[in-house]
Amino acid sequence: MRILSSIAPLLLLIGGGLAKKAQADPYEEFNRLAQRSSPIKLNDATYASLTGAPRNHSVVVLLTALETRFGCQLCQDFQPEWDLLGKSWTRGDKTGESRLLFGTLDFADGRETFISLGLQTAPVLMLFHPTVGPHAAASPEPVRYDFTAGPTAAEQVHTWLSRQLPDRPHPAIKRPINWIRWASTVTLVLGVGTALVSASAYVLPVIQNRNIWASVSLIAILLFISGHMFNHIRKVPYIVGDGKGGVSYIAGGFQSQLGLETQIVAAIYGVLSFCAITLAVKVPRMADSKTQQVAVVVWSITLFLVYSFLLSVFRVKNGGYPFSLPPFM
Amino acid sequence: MAAKTQGPAVGYTTESTRTLLRVVILCFIAAAAISSRLFSVIRFESIIHEFDPWFNFRATKYLVANGFHKFWDWFDDRTWHPLGRVTGGTLYPGLMVTSGAIYHALRTLTIPVDIRNICVLLAPACSGLTAFATYLLTNEMTTSPSAGLLAAVFMGIAPGYISRSVAGSYDNEAIAIFLLVFTFYLWIKALKLGSMLWGALCALFYGYMVASWGGYAFITCLLPVHALVLICMGRYSTRLYVSYTTWYALGTLASMQIPFVGFLPIKTSEHMPALGIFGFIQLIGFIQYVRSAISGRQFQTFLVTILVATFGLGLLGLVALTSLGYVAPWSGRFYSLWDTGYAKIHIPIIASVSEHQPTAWPSFFFDLNFLIWLFPAGVYLCFQDLKDEHVFVVVYALFGSYFAGVMVRLMLTLTPVVCVAAAMAASQILDTYLSWKSATPPEEQEAPKKVKGGLRGSDKPNVGIYSNLTKVMVSGSMLVYLLMFVSHCTWVTSNAYSSPSVVLASRMPDGSQHIIDDYREAYQWLRQNTKEDAKIMSWWDYGYQIGGMADRPTLVDNNTWNNTHIATVGKAMSSREEVSYPIMRQHEVDYVLVVFGALLGYSGDDINKFLWMVRIAEGIWPDEVKERDFFTPQGEYRVDEGATETMKNSLMYKMSYYNYASLFPAGQAADRVRGVRIPDQGPVLNTLEEAFTSENWIIRIYKVKDLDNIGRDHANAAAFERGQKKKKPTKKRGARVLRVD
Repeated sequence: MRILSSIAPLLLLIGGGLAKKAQADPYEEFNRLAQRSSPIKLNDATYASLTGAPRNHSVVVLLTALETRFGCQLCQDFQPEWDLLGKSWTRGDKTGESRLLFGTLDFADGRETFISLGLQTAPVLMLFHPTVGPHAAASPEPVRYDFTAGPTAAEQVHTWLSRQLPDRPHPAIKRPINWIRWASTVTLVLGVGTALVSASAYVLPVIQNRNIWASVSLIAILLFISGHMFNHIRKVPYIVGDGKGGVSYIAGGFQSQLGLETQIVAAIYGVLSFCAITLAVKVPRMADSKTQQVAVVVWSITLFLVYSFLLSVFRVKNGGYPFSLPPFM
Repeated sequence: MAAKTQGPAVGYTTESTRTLLRVVILCFIAAAAISSRLFSVIRFESIIHEFDPWFNFRATKYLVANGFHKFWDWFDDRTWHPLGRVTGGTLYPGLMVTSGAIYHALRTLTIPVDIRNICVLLAPACSGLTAFATYLLTNEMTTSPSAGLLAAVFMGIAPGYISRSVAGSYDNEAIAIFLLVFTFYLWIKALKLGSMLWGALCALFYGYMVASWGGYAFITCLLPVHALVLICMGRYSTRLYVSYTTWYALGTLASMQIPFVGFLPIKTSEHMPALGIFGFIQLIGFIQYVRSAISGRQFQTFLVTILVATFGLGLLGLVALTSLGYVAPWSGRFYSLWDTGYAKIHIPIIASVSEHQPTAWPSFFFDLNFLIWLFPAGVYLCFQDLKDEHVFVVVYALFGSYFAGVMVRLMLTLTPVVCVAAAMAASQILDTYLSWKSATPPEEQEAPKKVKGGLRGSDKPNVGIYSNLTKVMVSGSMLVYLLMFVSHCTWVTSNAYSSPSVVLASRMPDGSQHIIDDYREAYQWLRQNTKEDAKIMSWWDYGYQIGGMADRPTLVDNNTWNNTHIATVGKAMSSREEVSYPIMRQHEVDYVLVVFGALLGYSGDDINKFLWMVRIAEGIWPDEVKERDFFTPQGEYRVDEGATETMKNSLMYKMSYYNYASLFPAGQAADRVRGVRIPDQGPVLNTLEEAFTSENWIIRIYKVKDLDNIGRDHANAAAFERGQKKKKPTKKRGARVLRVD
């Protein structure tokens, strides 16, 4: 650590030296680089000279760790968005009116900077306001962007930048047209269309089959009425432990549920509906009286038992519910 | 009328007896539907409930007092201060006009009724009509004579519908559900008969529906989807053409008469399916005509290709127009139904409303009881002889259950189709097992000819039930389920849906009922003790009530059309006093009202809603208000000793807990909602002074102090009052801060 802490000032010195060398105007130099490829790929030295103290331009730097061994998912996800932002800003502002430069410092190239800044996490996005010139800020300290909101799109950072840099042009983000996706979509649609037309002799009976439509609709309805959309929106856990090493199948409380719980409920509804359908449709069509009697007894008892079970499950969710059927009282 | 055409052909006397019986039963059903909604009137009094109904009530009073034309042009300067609201052009007038018409009709009959009682009892009265409309709709679906009556009874007492239509719940849904069901009935009737008259009637009621409730978009989307499904099934017919075209043309014209809707039907995406199908059906009609005139196989193939291509091109054109901005894309509320994560990120104000939350499964069972599992069975029965009207039930069931799953509030639109489908299943079972005729084995055992495309299992002939024992068994258990359904509905209505939420009830230790009337106490105080035009700032939930009960101008109310203005109030509530005071001065606020439930354990208070205020404010001022600052480093939302500095300094926190600890002996102050101990040293308020606190501390009202007489800032002045020495007596700091406005 001691070595590092002694190296850091040394580096700063070097950085200062570099800055002095490019004293003419570091902005011009980096701007030339940026016109070639923006964001500019930085290392320790260029980072120091770019963000060095008297500056008449704004810099926004992304400190990231792209190498796979760091396992920084957020860095990987954000990198294309960042490149897009840097590129479209620089393209949209050829004359350099906004005096904003984009830089990327990877941990592999800028280990020292990371250490000197005391960074434990990545990515970090910092905006350095100019210290001199018309847009000079009172404090030379950089402003940090808050990455906590999860995956970040270029538009969000753009909004943040525009807010930080008032009365300057804010070139809009131009997302490149994804030709491959368009081409593949068109090919896929055409292909599927062709396949359907040529295989229509086999496909049509399936599409026109009433049983298939009936079962698809019923399954969809069962999913919806057993709270599947709630799981989807709230992202509830599929299952949780009960704290005693076991598994709890049913979440307590009226406004919460578990993934497995909704599947149990959907199954219960399915069984109950099936019993009702059998009693209403299938049984009266049985020609044999003995078979029919057995079927009625079996299905109506199943219906009764499962409904009783459903009521007992519901009483778990709603403590004060007064109704129940035997045997699950 | 409809009853007479049903049922088997029997002798004249039996038939008229049946009709009489039906009428009597329907009257009983209506009576049951109405009386089961009167719990709150009997328990409390004839009072308007909740929040939105207070605005509707106020608007109705205005309509009755000033006449229709003034109502139409009403500019309300007592809400959304200082903006005001063009009320006549931004509301659905159907509800107010209906009760105004009833009021004037009764007055002509020299029956003097208070307008309040009409408003309170409008929803129960409409529920009787809804039961009747459900009866008519179900009779169109099945030949069983009992299904309609069962459906009417289910609709009459199903909690899913009662939840929004108890006495006093004077909201748009009160009449809208009747209109919804009746419009569907007329649509089915028009489609079956191919009649222009029924189509026009359908359009008329659709227009009435548009005038009443924003949920009309459900009809606007469901009917075209039904038409499209029918066309895809190869069921295009002139009946469909006539009924759809009539409905669309007249219905759209009717809907455009409402100022709030105006030109939306040709501009916004949620109306585009109806327009697209209208064009498509014209094309098909034309091609059908050509096809009947010219024969030739190639020509037909050519036409089919053209048909598909036009449909695709139309869709592409719509997408292009939308992206170019000629057609407004799906508006937030509708869009959030499809992209379920949208609202949470982009429009916190929509996500903050509790009735926009997704539905957990217990709610379905709670609102529909055993109908919920008869419902899929009924849908299955629709597949049996899939006629046009059955397709409608299937489509409605699919969309209805999806929407009900996404948003609790839309349980309301699901309930009618559940009642219809469940009644079909229940009546099928009851008809089969309650018939005294014992089954005779089929005489000829020849295999019945296979119906192409039928359902599996329903191709054999229906012989009936042989044994009486099994008949008793099944009908007995059905009877048990039905009885349980009735007691469930009564229990749910009585326990969950009959609280006016303006008046709260609690039980005393001896079991007697104790009424907590803090809201009205506070509003009455405002009405009697403040200037006529004193501006009240509160969170938007209470805007309509303050306008209705206290008759004072408010900054924001439940009509959430202006997000920025709401965010301004949110910012004032969630910032430090030094920030809030200029905001309040700029908006000429005289009083601030907060709802505080800690003493009573009333969980719907402002501290629990506070995070939404913060989020909405953060949406507009991300640099000044940050949700993160209200959570401790451990990520907890605390109000006790460990609350964050931002929390403790926020105006809302200060107003809620000001002087609260002095109620308790030292070290005993507790918050009964959050179940935590409150520090003895309460917050200090400099720019506000306590004006009123209700009996149970639910409502606290603060007066905004005027500028200091001798130019000190409020913190200094308040410190001086408390007898604390000034820190720097020579320097008058901060006075400049206050003079900036």
